[in-house]
Parts: sequence; C-alpha cells; structure tokens
Amino acid sequence: MYISGIGIVFTRGRGIDSFEKALKEGWIEPSRTGSIPAYRVGQETLTDASLTKKMRRADRFSRMAVLSAVDACRDSGINVNERAELGIVLATAFGPHATTFSFIDDILDYGDTNVSPTKFSNSVHNAAASYVSAILENRGPTVTITQFKFAFQNALILAGSWIAEGRCDHVLCGCADELGTVMEYACKMKLNIAKEGKINPFAFSDTPVSVPGEGSVFIMLSKEKGLNNYGKATETSFPRNITGNPDLFVIDADGMSANETGYRDIIDYGSLIAGYSPVFGSMLTGSAFNFAAAALMLKNQIAYNCVFQDNPFGAKLCDETSAKNLNEIYCIKICRPEIKTIIKLQK
Amino acid sequence: MESKEKNLAEIRKLLKELLVENLSLEDIRPEDIKDDEVLFGDGLGLDSLDAVEIVVLLQRNFGLEVKDMKQGREIFYSVDTLARYIYVNKKTT
Repeated sequence: MYISGIGIVFTRGRGIDSFEKALKEGWIEPSRTGSIPAYRVGQETLTDASLTKKMRRADRFSRMAVLSAVDACRDSGINVNERAELGIVLATAFGPHATTFSFIDDILDYGDTNVSPTKFSNSVHNAAASYVSAILENRGPTVTITQFKFAFQNALILAGSWIAEGRCDHVLCGCADELGTVMEYACKMKLNIAKEGKINPFAFSDTPVSVPGEGSVFIMLSKEKGLNNYGKATETSFPRNITGNPDLFVIDADGMSANETGYRDIIDYGSLIAGYSPVFGSMLTGSAFNFAAAALMLKNQIAYNCVFQDNPFGAKLCDETSAKNLNEIYCIKICRPEIKTIIKLQK
Repeated sequence: MESKEKNLAEIRKLLKELLVENLSLEDIRPEDIKDDEVLFGDGLGLDSLDAVEIVVLLQRNFGLEVKDMKQGREIFYSVDTLARYIYVNKKTT
C-alpha cells in the first residue's frame, strides 16, 4: 500500500514540515514543567481556528488525533468529497487516560449522578477515532486498537487487510498517546528517566533511559499511487529472525522497554542504523513517528542525522543529514530479543 | 430591590463564566454572552448535550436539581432565566 500523506502533532509543533525541521535540527531540551523531563505538546499546537466548533468538546487526546488525521488527509491531496471508501484505524497504548482518570475523580468528588456527560464520552477509547471520522464525514470503518507494545504495527496490519480485500481505497492509520499526570507518575515509578533529558537509542542497554513524550501521527495509506507519494509499506510482520538487507534500519529504542539489548543483533547486518526517539520522546506508540521519519527519508532520499551517538557497540550509524540512495527501510521494534516486529518500507 | 438586582448580576456573571468554561466555548468570552440571548438553537447554539452539562453545572455549583424537562425549557432559555431560577431557589432553600 502506498503512503500518500502524513500528519503529525508532537512536541515541536504540527505538520510534516515541522517534523522534517525537527529531524534536521536534532535534539532539544525537553520541557521540565512537570515532575519529570518530558516532550509535551503545547496547548497552542492544539488549536485550529478552522476546527474550533467541530473540536469544541474534544479533549487533548482527541485533539491531537484530529489535527494529525486532518493534516494527513490534506497532505495526501485526496479530495474529501471524492473519497469513496476511507477507513480509520487509531492505535494507542493508553487511550485518553487523563480524561478517564478525571472522570473517575469526578465520580468520587461529586457522585455518579453528577458527572459531566462530555467527560464520559471523551473517556471512551474510541472517542478520538470517532471525532476524526465525524470531522472528515467518513462513512467507512473506524476502529481503535489499544495495546501496550505493538498497537501501531497491528493497526498497519488491519489497514493492509482492509485495502487488500477491497473494503477501503484509503485508510488513515495512526497513533495517539498523551502524557497526563497519572502517566507522568507511572513513568516516574516504572522507567529509568534520563535526568539530563537525553534518550540514548544506540546504547542497546539492559537498563535504558527514557524521556516520555506525547503526540499523534496519522498516515494516509492508499491502494493506488496518489498525487503525493512517500513510498510503499510492503510488510508488517512479527518474525523470529530478520531477513533481507535494507539500506537503513530505523529502530524504536527509546527506553520504554526494560531491556534493549536485542537491538544489538541489528549491527551484524551491516546496514545503516538510525532512530529518532530523541526528537519526539519515548512512547509505546513511537513506532508511528519512526515510520513517518522513514517515509519522509524515502520520499526525500535524505537520511537524517541520528541524535546522540553514544555508540558502545560500534553500530554503523547515520551520522549526518545527507542525500542517500534509499530504496528500502526496515522499521524495527524489539521488546525482548525473541519478540521482534518489522515494518518494511520501499521507495 | 437593589440587593436583588445586585445578586442577580453577580449570578449572571458567574453563570457566563461557568458556561464558557464547562461547555468549552473557546471562541466566546463570558462578556460576549448577552443576558437575554437564547442559549439553545439559533442563539448561542447550544445543544442537548450542553443541556445535560448545565444540569450538572447547576447541581455542582448551586446545589439545584432540575428534573422537570418542561420546567427546564423555561429555566434554560437564557442566562437571565437561569439566574432568576438560581436566585429564587437559593433564597428559599
């Protein structure tokens, strides 16, 4: 399936141009407004005058999803009115947890008959996908996949099956995850937070560090090659071993797994290795952001410089932003050495 | 009488702030809402879900319950009718 559009909301703004700029700029200091350093999305990023009325009741989580989905649609150049069959798949690790916990707090504070119906509707995991569907006036299938580790990969597989069976001509496939106070607390208790604010994707450590992030990415996937084309997503699989020899591996190492030693195996393939978690932050659905980076690299035929080159195992890292002949990129996520996922992208 | 009008004015001001905040009326400032502006339909453009939010808002902030929907239509007509309902019922409770 063809990658015909990308929309993104992340710590440094909104839109594929902002993301490209961030990839070129590299690391920036995370925000330190909460209890941990983190890559938060600013409130100003989540406003859009053209969508004010339609997003009036949407919470932060849904706003991130709506804005990135709308941008992916616009980026694709696909005419909304002529869009015959559009599917929507939203992947998330934790859903709108901030609203969910706020709703539960309200029940405790005010009683179960005295809680906001809007807050209740936003606390449902499918709310964000429903906002996207309603705003795009979509009549195709809409699904939310909630899974900790491989939500985006499973979303891609579902999107691929809808396109393959002819159910949809296009699928908006994306992810969204937010960093609320509860999540901040969970990260603080469960993860090794990088106090200096630097994720180290190429340390391949058994005690990796993280800087939590939040945001949303939507990819417009199409059956046919469209006006805008980033390349093709040819396979998403969970193999025991990685086969093939891509021009570039993009790895999801970001400190969200307890152990990242499994990535050491990638070194033996001899291909270039990159990973961009220091740009957008650590999150379980970070795969979608790396996917967007890979698609952008295929389209532009540019490999972006990796941030933080602490490279104790001598991996062949992408050490400068430069033109490269990129025909195939594998996006790899390894949770434990025996659990791998590959998303294959081709020019 | 002067005291009543002063109280009503305070309630209206508070109500407008609560409506903007609780109904996420991002593009409207509290002072933009007229006292007698129709809240639903052609006026401020609120809908049925907003009506339930206002019921919750009245319960939480003023301890008032509106259960009779016929009565609710009259009470929810404008900020002014809401304020008068709050003023009268808070006085008697």
